[in-house]
Amino acid sequence: MIEACGASLVYYDNGKKVYACQDISMEVRENEFLGILGPSGSGKSSLLYLLSGLKVPSEGEIRYMGTSLARLSDETRSKLRLKDFGFVFQQPYLLGYLTAKENVAIAGVDGDSNAQAMDLLDRLGLGDKKHRLPHELSGGERQRVCVARALLGHPNIIFADEPTAALDHRNGRHVVQLLNANRGHGSLVMVTHDPSMLEEADRVLHLSDGSIESEDDLASRAFAQ
Amino acid sequence: MIADKEPPTPPSSRRKRVKALSAGTYLVRNAGRTLPLTGVILLAVVLITGIVAMMNSIPLSIRTTYSYSKYLLGISPRGDENLTPKMLKTLKKQSPVPLERIVTFRASASQVKSVVGKWPFLVLGLNQPDTLYFLHKLGATSVLGRLPDKGKPEAVVSEPVARNLQLKLGSVLLSPSDQDNYSPQKVKVVGIALTKEWLMVDDLDYQKVNHFPPVDNIMVFARNLKDQNTLDHWAVKTFKGDRAIVFAYYVLERQTDENFKTLYAILDVVIGVLVLVITIMMGMLINIYQSQRLVEFGLLQAIGYTKKQLLTRVLRETTWVLLLGWTVGLACAYGLLEIVNRKLMYPNAYALDTLDPIAIRYTVPVPISILVVAALTVWLRFRKFDPVGVVERRLV
Repeated sequence: MIEACGASLVYYDNGKKVYACQDISMEVRENEFLGILGPSGSGKSSLLYLLSGLKVPSEGEIRYMGTSLARLSDETRSKLRLKDFGFVFQQPYLLGYLTAKENVAIAGVDGDSNAQAMDLLDRLGLGDKKHRLPHELSGGERQRVCVARALLGHPNIIFADEPTAALDHRNGRHVVQLLNANRGHGSLVMVTHDPSMLEEADRVLHLSDGSIESEDDLASRAFAQ
Repeated sequence: MIADKEPPTPPSSRRKRVKALSAGTYLVRNAGRTLPLTGVILLAVVLITGIVAMMNSIPLSIRTTYSYSKYLLGISPRGDENLTPKMLKTLKKQSPVPLERIVTFRASASQVKSVVGKWPFLVLGLNQPDTLYFLHKLGATSVLGRLPDKGKPEAVVSEPVARNLQLKLGSVLLSPSDQDNYSPQKVKVVGIALTKEWLMVDDLDYQKVNHFPPVDNIMVFARNLKDQNTLDHWAVKTFKGDRAIVFAYYVLERQTDENFKTLYAILDVVIGVLVLVITIMMGMLINIYQSQRLVEFGLLQAIGYTKKQLLTRVLRETTWVLLLGWTVGLACAYGLLEIVNRKLMYPNAYALDTLDPIAIRYTVPVPISILVVAALTVWLRFRKFDPVGVVERRLV
């Protein structure tokens, strides 16, 4: 569905060339839960930004359904993100003046976003809090609203960038379970430094110093256990 | 394959905007932030409207006070009584338009009050038939009291003059002890003419006996204002160089415009500086205001809103704030000017246009310049805006 072909992301630190990601080749398959695991600074978030079109690779390319994202205009990439992708970030970013339901509905492209948002919040156990403003919700509840926003419109891929980082372990696990259980036929790409959050992942890529170090799947992990 | 034009989205759904992100929702739910901006624009509009309307009240007062001269041509020979018959002859023979009436009169000097001090005003000495005609010509519907008697120290004034000088029936208009409104005898008000025009009329015979110089002046009336204007232009040209002063309304208007040209040039500079200061201040405020919303913009762009959509949204919000500030500002300015008019101007018959179109026009650059500055500021910010910086918490 989406593939990286020798993709690198370079930035310059005081004129010195630094690779956030280097020569990465991988793919995200349909309907899979792909985990990207690595320590802080290993380049996992950068890889997520490349795959989701938030960043354009300095070298190599990212293809979504056969089309290079770099060839699309900034505007088209934005529209693609809204329609085909869902995002959950490390911090539960919500617009403070919108209710939980409205915060979910802003990710919608069609007319029944409100109905979908209400349905999703019901499914995520926030049905009674849909009219509350973000400051009236707990951290875990806010992140669940973000999950609902990512799920709205049945995106082809959901990108989750350390979605459990700001939560305690129990709430973190719950958020991952909700994401996985409600993604339907969409794929889930989740970045984390906590291996326990990827127990349900179909595949896990291990990143180190901006490169893929290894890959394992559910079967091999079960075997290892 | 994905076309570079647009990802496939059902056409009907693309047109529907999410109401949660409408300008109205943002402005209402963030009133604490948007109202101060509205307030600044409101105050600017009130200030500009107030200054310009009050300034305009001066030339407006001149036009209003001497508006009666619109209906007549006045010719005053300079100190030679023999000139009057010659001028009458010229008028009758050479006038370019049919004349409705020619009146000979005497005049004495008086003064009326204005917002910028006292202005000269003529007391016209007319006989009764001419007084009646004059009042009728100036649109007087009726006279409270009566007309001056022949040879008596009596006068009729119009309602605005009575208000201006606080006169009632029986009040003294001219007096031997009043340097500004002098007459050898006390001239009392015996009639108040109900017309919006300013006028003071006393008796011709009284003037002939009591006032200097002993020269008959001429008033010429055309059938309508268009003919009157033609006649005025002709008379100014014809009697130029003769020993006569010609009073014509268009000359008064031209002189007023010329006299106030410098004042308006100063006003333009003052208002220009004011608009510039307000625009810079608002530009800075909007910049700070948008900086506080970086997380919002970063999040929306990250999840798929285009820069164009965000810029359009910000400009729509700014436009609403500006329109609100501008319209409420105009309404407040109107209210304040109405209060000033009722409490200060109208009781003294000072002219003030509370819905002065020139004053309103002067406020138009305020919202436009602020919108331009806001658009530029936000555009510059969005041009190199990286949503990743926000979601990674580097920019917040």
